Amino acid sequence: MILPSFVLILIVTGFPLLYSIYVSFTDYNLLRPGSDVFRADIMFRNYERLINDPIFRRSLGNTILFLFVTVNLEYVLALGLSQLLARVTKGQGIMRTMLMIPMMFAPILVGFQFRWFFNAEVGLVNNALLSLGVTQTKIAWLVDEPLGMIAIMIATIWMNLPVTTIILLAGTLSLPSEMYEAAEVDGAGAWQKFRHITFPMLAPFTYIALTIRSLDVARAFDIVRMMTDGGPAHRTELIWTYVTRLAIEDSRFGMGAAMSLITVVISLFFTVYFFRQLVKVRIVQ
Amino acid sequence: MRKLFVLFTIALALIISGAALAQDSEPQYAGLDMDLSGITIRMATIGGGQYEAMYGSIPVFEEATGARVEIVALLDGFAIDQKLKLDFATGAVDYDVAWDHTSFVAQYVPFLEPLNPYFTEEELAQFSPAILDAATINGNLLLIPRHADVSALHYRADLYNNPDIAEAYRAATGMELTVPTTLEEIDRQARFFVQNGYSTYGYGMAGKEEALTGRFYEFLFASGGALFNENFEPTFNDAIGVQVATLLREWYRDGILPPDTTSLLWDGDAQNFCNGDVALKLEWYGWYSYFQDAASCPRIAGNFGLARGPIGFDNPGATHTGWAGAHAFSIPAAAQNKQAAAQLIKFLTSERVAYEEAQLGFLPVRDDVWARLIEDASRSDVELNRIRLETARIQINEDFRTPPLIAEWIPFSNIFFPQLQAIILGDVEPQAGLDAAAEATRQLMADAGYYN
Repeated sequence: MILPSFVLILIVTGFPLLYSIYVSFTDYNLLRPGSDVFRADIMFRNYERLINDPIFRRSLGNTILFLFVTVNLEYVLALGLSQLLARVTKGQGIMRTMLMIPMMFAPILVGFQFRWFFNAEVGLVNNALLSLGVTQTKIAWLVDEPLGMIAIMIATIWMNLPVTTIILLAGTLSLPSEMYEAAEVDGAGAWQKFRHITFPMLAPFTYIALTIRSLDVARAFDIVRMMTDGGPAHRTELIWTYVTRLAIEDSRFGMGAAMSLITVVISLFFTVYFFRQLVKVRIVQ
Repeated sequence: MRKLFVLFTIALALIISGAALAQDSEPQYAGLDMDLSGITIRMATIGGGQYEAMYGSIPVFEEATGARVEIVALLDGFAIDQKLKLDFATGAVDYDVAWDHTSFVAQYVPFLEPLNPYFTEEELAQFSPAILDAATINGNLLLIPRHADVSALHYRADLYNNPDIAEAYRAATGMELTVPTTLEEIDRQARFFVQNGYSTYGYGMAGKEEALTGRFYEFLFASGGALFNENFEPTFNDAIGVQVATLLREWYRDGILPPDTTSLLWDGDAQNFCNGDVALKLEWYGWYSYFQDAASCPRIAGNFGLARGPIGFDNPGATHTGWAGAHAFSIPAAAQNKQAAAQLIKFLTSERVAYEEAQLGFLPVRDDVWARLIEDASRSDVELNRIRLETARIQINEDFRTPPLIAEWIPFSNIFFPQLQAIILGDVEPQAGLDAAAEATRQLMADAGYYN
């Protein structure tokens, strides 16, 4: 029974991966038939050019910053929200349903919606700031640095906060109540209970949430594409927008494949790291 | 009685001939002369805005030929370009008619069906020869144009009809305030309008993607410069290129352009003009009916003017701006129903359908439709209707300049526009930014085999 499953997995994941690796060593251009032929003299050209490409380096840096800030900030907010929700005694069902609303939107719609919020001329944010007298000039949210990056981070966090919150809420509700009762007997306050019981006990859920979100953060592509498309002047360029521009818009599939493989290696690093942490925590507990 | 009969016969003949004349003067459909029963013609085409109005005529074609037309993709121009490229490369073409554009067609050459065998010389005679020439590569006609467009100067008429503003301008500059005919005049007037509070912004433009590259391109050639030399070596980083890039940078720095210019594409840019926030801009004629619609643009409808594009900076070879292109239809080489597809294209580009689409503001590519529009405009109460057509015709005859017809146009644009954005935003000096773009472009062209 293992063989059919193995063959299926090989076809579904193995072949595209192997083909991507092959293509990354060629000069494959979508609109030049026959350009996917392997040539030893140019096999490393895509990788050499990427290493020396300042836009690639910038997009890589932006991606790491984007990933670090969104995943961590999302975690902190979700942790707080999950603790508040865990204490709700009435209407918890309605609140959980409301919490899930951002998840129901397609990322492309979220991007469209936030692009309108942050529009310099008619956007909600600028109108509010001007009406309240916070600013006298229209702020180009999607243009200025680092406001463009902040705007796409806000949109991404808004959309994904429910996932992390639900994972942490499930973890919080599954914690044994005996430990809290014992802590109360010892005179522990709310902060001490959170600091010494809840937070450490939530570690497996934390790593699961961080792993899922680190891998899933690429879903922000649609949001970024709608809001800034990596611009202006590469200010919000992420690996995914740059790959799309090279591979799809410019038809340079070889270069796009090389860049994608580099991101796969980076994603693998994060996945392995988080899983190792998860295993460590489970052994300790 | 006999006399009466003769008179009746003459009267009847006059009525019939009058009806026949009236019938002749009606614009005619084409492509309806073939029985296509049982055939489904699939089409991947451009959607959004006014582009979709044309497809409302398709039931006429279906009724007359028995074919069924299925629109399998309705996307904006850039999205459909991406779809076509992917489908062509992966052999996933499952449609018979594909939207095309003079700026994009050079990319698709190996994947398109030559149209020469499907169209007679008589059928092609009404189309603009310049556009058909641009669409003929290696002797193969690869597209049939649908409508053309060329950028024209749009300006807020109230700014030029107000004697107080004219007097203030005279006092400030010592010159008369007339609709600008040069880039220097646009610069001077745009600054005057903003600095004196007559307009929120002096000039408007889309500031990303091909929209930005194209605008730079027309300022460049209008100022005597060029993107490439005859060997396709980049030349846009010369003194003229720096002059144009510096102008855009200074406009942005001084608030002549909206602060979010570099995040605006066509629609956002047009909206600023529609809102009455922009004094001057180069814009496509295709937006005409939108700007004239009081329900959509109450501040600008009936309050804007059109003029020929300005002459660029005063350098040798300076000329009028006139970035131009044509939307079109092609048949993929992998199409299943090529003859039926050709019939549908004949219908969609027929005099009648083209005339109906031209009512929306698009510029026709057929001489017979031009003649009708000019006749219509001569009867119109709106003077701008006539000015629009006269100006457009001059521009199409004298200023029509497509981007270089090379497969690398979009990849080049994707290299170029972020660098120009960086220059505009002040991230890099004009010369350094253009040099970096030129270096990357040289590599692109070398990879494509231009320098072998």
